[in-house]
Amino acid sequence: MFAQTISLFRYLMLGILSRRLLVLVLVLTVLTMLVGSFFSELAMINGKAIMVALVADFLRYSLGLFALLVITTGVAEDYEFKQFERLLTMPLSRWQYIVAQVLVIASLCLLLVLPVLLVISLYSDWQVGLYWASALWLEIFLLGLLGMLAILSLEKIPLAVCFALAVYLLAKLSGLISQMLAESVRLSDGSLTSRFVDFIFGAILYLVPGLETFAENDVFFGNVDLIEKISVQFSSTVVYALFLIAVCLVDFYRKEFNL
Amino acid sequence: MRRAERPMLQLPAPLIWGFILVLLSQLLFHHFSPAQREFSYQPLAKPLRASTYRGIAMGSEKLLGYLLAIRLQLHDSQAGRYFNYNWIDYPVLVEWLEQITRVNPVSEYPMLLASRVYSQTRDKSRLRLMLEFIERNFDHAPQLHWRRLAEASVIAKHQLEDLKLALQLAEKLALQPASTVMPQWARDIRFLLLAELNELESAIAIIEALLQSNAVTDPDEKRFLEEKLSKFQQELFESRLTIEN
Repeated sequence: MFAQTISLFRYLMLGILSRRLLVLVLVLTVLTMLVGSFFSELAMINGKAIMVALVADFLRYSLGLFALLVITTGVAEDYEFKQFERLLTMPLSRWQYIVAQVLVIASLCLLLVLPVLLVISLYSDWQVGLYWASALWLEIFLLGLLGMLAILSLEKIPLAVCFALAVYLLAKLSGLISQMLAESVRLSDGSLTSRFVDFIFGAILYLVPGLETFAENDVFFGNVDLIEKISVQFSSTVVYALFLIAVCLVDFYRKEFNL
Repeated sequence: MRRAERPMLQLPAPLIWGFILVLLSQLLFHHFSPAQREFSYQPLAKPLRASTYRGIAMGSEKLLGYLLAIRLQLHDSQAGRYFNYNWIDYPVLVEWLEQITRVNPVSEYPMLLASRVYSQTRDKSRLRLMLEFIERNFDHAPQLHWRRLAEASVIAKHQLEDLKLALQLAEKLALQPASTVMPQWARDIRFLLLAELNELESAIAIIEALLQSNAVTDPDEKRFLEEKLSKFQQELFESRLTIEN
């Protein structure tokens, strides 16, 4: 059973690996470094830290989007080419497909963060580089799982990407949205509608990852306990990843395929 | 292979005249257009609240603080032209500096912009706004901002020519507890200004207290203080002699 899952993982992994992927990651990295150098020249102080932080954030969002597109495209192709029907005629369980996909996402994220580790370690010290690469791996992994859930449920790439990005941005901008809703409640003298919307948003926040689940860019500007930061991020990512995998399994088992 | 072209003079005359007319109208329009004539300093818009910037930052507050400071620093350069700082609305500028400081309270950048960049104005009221900003924010993080307060004191003395304000800033610096680590020269600005204000007795008392308290350990610093002490004592003696005569 384990060997079957690994074979499926290898098969799926080969489907997404290509030379173009490598070239694109390299181009992104070089482009990011150029943009970072430009800002570093402009800054009057802390130029190097600003550059590294900018490079790190740019790579975070570009690689996150890139991973999301690769994962959703891979699963969408499985729908399009009736791959699921073919796989399910084999002695394979549905959970094995999900586990293989999770391994694919984990491996893809690992491939994507390797250049990040090199670049950040080169411009900053290796401990910060290691922290950022690990934290970014956790963040992109979570985004990848979100993408997998979205494509399994919605089956269309644009819808799945929009949904995954919406959840991701909702989690990241939750502070701003909460602040706006609180302000709206205040300005409307606590009207029922405002309070209701505020309550609904508060409830939604329980289903999206908290800000502690994401890599912290502030590490580039001062001494922080990197071990503590990564531990907090790791534990919250594990909880949320398990939740997403469970939702994926439920959703995938509910699907009817014409075998 | 390049296609052969007819000489310009062989083209129909109405086409050539029409072309010249259109070209002239374009040049004239460009020259007299109001947008071009007044180009056109874009005033500094009011900043958002720091809490909003923190929300937008998506967890990268410090980076956003620095990027906002760089954006502010580049405001005087618009469409390839540099504008004099007199064009800038300084009260709005102070608001920007305040908000950036709140977005990233551990950054020196806004204070540095105030003391090194936006203090380069000849308008004394604007300069005063910058110094007030520095003085206000120094209290939040004296260890981080003591250099800026020392610079502010020098600016108050030389650019603003307000010795009292300079002394007020220098006193703030000198009265910091020993836990605020800074070189002795930063604390010495106070007695130098006191001497300039002809308050030689106070300056002498401060130097004597410093020397007696053994707070100064550096031999060069000690020699500097002793030289200043004897110079001020001499000046005080001479001034008294002049009064008596």
